[in-house]
Amino acid sequence: MSKHRVSRRQFLTYTLTGVGGFMAAGMLMPMVRFAVDPVLTVEAGGDFIATPLKISDITSEPQRVDFTFEQKDAWYTSDVSNTAWVYKDEQDNIVALSPVCKHLGCTVGWGTGDNPEEFFCPCHFGRYTKDGTNVKGTPPLAPLDVYPFQEKDGLLYLGKAEPKKKEA
Amino acid sequence: MKWVSKDIETYLTAKEYVDTAVIPLYSVSFGNEMRESASGAEFITLLTSYLERQFTGRLLLLPPFTYLKSDYPENIVQQLKKWEENIEKNEFKHIFYITSESDWKIYEKELKGSLIWLPSLPLEHLNDQQKISMIESQVKQLLSLFTQKWNENE
Repeated sequence: MSKHRVSRRQFLTYTLTGVGGFMAAGMLMPMVRFAVDPVLTVEAGGDFIATPLKISDITSEPQRVDFTFEQKDAWYTSDVSNTAWVYKDEQDNIVALSPVCKHLGCTVGWGTGDNPEEFFCPCHFGRYTKDGTNVKGTPPLAPLDVYPFQEKDGLLYLGKAEPKKKEA
Repeated sequence: MKWVSKDIETYLTAKEYVDTAVIPLYSVSFGNEMRESASGAEFITLLTSYLERQFTGRLLLLPPFTYLKSDYPENIVQQLKKWEENIEKNEFKHIFYITSESDWKIYEKELKGSLIWLPSLPLEHLNDQQKISMIESQVKQLLSLFTQKWNENE
């Protein structure tokens, strides 16, 4: 028998402290995780996808860029290729527009309609000016979505298309 | 629009804009023809899904009409006619059938919709990029066909 005898009272105190500690930890851990989570995800965010287009090749004429990424639809993953219309505006800023018509989602083309300086949707004859603004009197009710972009190693990286911000 | 709940939801609110139905026609056969049957179906799937992306707002891509190749042709055509009847009842002005099966050419006259027959291209040895550009060039030809058809009735 060991010299240090544990009394019944002591034994119970130890056990209760131990179990209580576990329970407290079990409750606190998820809370801490939730509190910290937003900080952790911001790091991983900003999914920019590489396009084959070089920044130096961008001209004032909108050109089509295709880029591919993996999309997960339930358990079905597939490579989806997306398209953007990229050009430089008068102030030399890069503009990347989504080709998805804001009316019902057809793909718009540059200069394919009667007007060579406009985006045109063949489905219901929607029109957009070069900066993506919808032409009044045609079906679309909003300007084309804009891709946020980044430059990396001279290549253009595009993010997720978002609705155009109203100019102040 | 595709045959998925989200798209159908949009379709129901924008019915007047969607006047075209597209039905891929697939044949299924076993044995020696299994390979061609699968590659034809693959080709048509890719093609129609790309087509759907271009014209999302004006066409509804229906689930493929699938039939056994060994079945009697009369039965198959009869079956498809039933589809046609139902689709027409639902306010679709234009119906397009897309197939890689040349046999359909014989029955084209019996159908009210337009039949588009495209010989299947062998895609199995291509990488994704090549596949896309190949399908793209095929669809480009279809696009003008569709716009033409739409303009006819306006």
